[in-house]
Amino acid sequence: MIELLAQTGLNALYAASYISLVAVGLVLIFGVMGVINFAHGELFMVGAYTVVALYADLQMPFLVAITFGLIFVGLLGLVMERSMFRPLRDNPLGGLVASIGFLMILQALASIGFGVRMEHIPPVTQEVIVFSEKVRLPLPRLFVMVAAVVLLGALWYFLRRTRFGWALRASAQDPEAAALQGISINQTARIAMFIGAGLAGVAGALTAPLVSVNPHMGHSVIVTAFIVIIVGGVGSLEGAVLASVVYAFVHTVVTTFWDGVIADIVGLSLMLLVLIVKPTGLFGTAERA
Amino acid sequence: MLLELDGISVSYGKVSAIRDISMGVPDGGIVTIIGANGAGKSTTLRAISGLEPLARGEIRFEGERINNLPADKVVARGIAHVPEGRRVFPDLSVEENLRTGAFLRRNAPEVEQDLERVFERFPRLRERRTQLAKTMSGGEQQMLAIGRALMARPRLLLMDEPSMGLAPVIVEEIARIIEEINADGVPVVLVEQNAELALDLADHAYVLETGSVVLEGPAAELHDNEHVRAAYLGI
Repeated sequence: MIELLAQTGLNALYAASYISLVAVGLVLIFGVMGVINFAHGELFMVGAYTVVALYADLQMPFLVAITFGLIFVGLLGLVMERSMFRPLRDNPLGGLVASIGFLMILQALASIGFGVRMEHIPPVTQEVIVFSEKVRLPLPRLFVMVAAVVLLGALWYFLRRTRFGWALRASAQDPEAAALQGISINQTARIAMFIGAGLAGVAGALTAPLVSVNPHMGHSVIVTAFIVIIVGGVGSLEGAVLASVVYAFVHTVVTTFWDGVIADIVGLSLMLLVLIVKPTGLFGTAERA
Repeated sequence: MLLELDGISVSYGKVSAIRDISMGVPDGGIVTIIGANGAGKSTTLRAISGLEPLARGEIRFEGERINNLPADKVVARGIAHVPEGRRVFPDLSVEENLRTGAFLRRNAPEVEQDLERVFERFPRLRERRTQLAKTMSGGEQQMLAIGRALMARPRLLLMDEPSMGLAPVIVEEIARIIEEINADGVPVVLVEQNAELALDLADHAYVLETGSVVLEGPAAELHDNEHVRAAYLGI
């Protein structure tokens, strides 16, 4: 029993790692730009396909492929900012609708480029860390966890300790007052979009060898990310990370002891419960929600 | 003139907020804009800072046109703005709030110097250095908003209702601070509903009514003006 719990805990930490990367990016974009990026799951998907293209097809080193995933999807975020969110700045609903359109374009492009089949990527390594007979951690999963901790740590450092980090937080709290300090809204929007999209891309790239990659894989990711953000409190980065861990544990435990569909139901119920008991989320404030 | 407004108008949709306002702010001294709620005082300051687009007219700072610049570029020219309602960043610490005020400045030693100077001017901000801005009282937040603007080392300081919602003893303190800042060589444009306070502090005054300038002159003169006394000083 203890072994089963330990294994479930490891699985949950792995799930929490990539969910929090996606959710934090989504929160950052919403916080700074006030827009809900529905295409965020598809950015995750594009990140996964960069690994299909560079690592599986062109046989480049895995590290090169995921770095490229981060940068390429980050640049894609810049394209979204310039072409959709900036012209629609005074119209958050318009930004949301445009991002749904963009999501469909990305899905169509992936289908045209790679087909609708499931891509299976050769594992980066077959090595498994064996804690005991029933508690095992495949190395690629450990890699996702380490990468998430490193990337989220770097983001935390950036936001707390650098000039542009302060600017980003100031912009999220009061865009107009931030502009009065000389902080350019366009610039903070670009930074938020590059980081937010890049994190989704790298999450997709990191998990690509562990899941089946297909053009519609972004769907379940974005639903999970939304649940996590609502539970954590819209606008709270720390909340998104902690809620990712909570959600991943609940979902993994229920999947292990019952099944995945019930786990989805429990996850959504958890969100409803939080909305009833504390509508601003566990760590949120009402100001920007 | 350091700052010139040349016949500016601003509209919100079809509603005209200010019409054909012309003003001059000399380099040095305090200019005040007084008027009732909704007369267009804040709109005038917001137009100077690039937060409201002009329907007509021109704004010049140090002889150069600035009314086509976005807000962050106006700050870069040297105009700092203490907005109405203070608008400090609630979830940033006092020190982080102050440092955002110096966002555009690259000379780190000078910024540290100015931070020290702000802490000398406002000892309470030093005590609360690591505290989140939202946990502070209204008076402390107003001091933080002023300190944040000073961190830009402005050539001109715009202040929108710095006395709003503060206890009389704090209002006096804020007034003394405005005088000190001005004495240190920073010209101030002060928007106030508290006309008594504003006319005491200012050298020159403009009176706005329903979006237009109806009176202007030396502050002492307007203080004795019958219309001003009846409408704004309650004498």
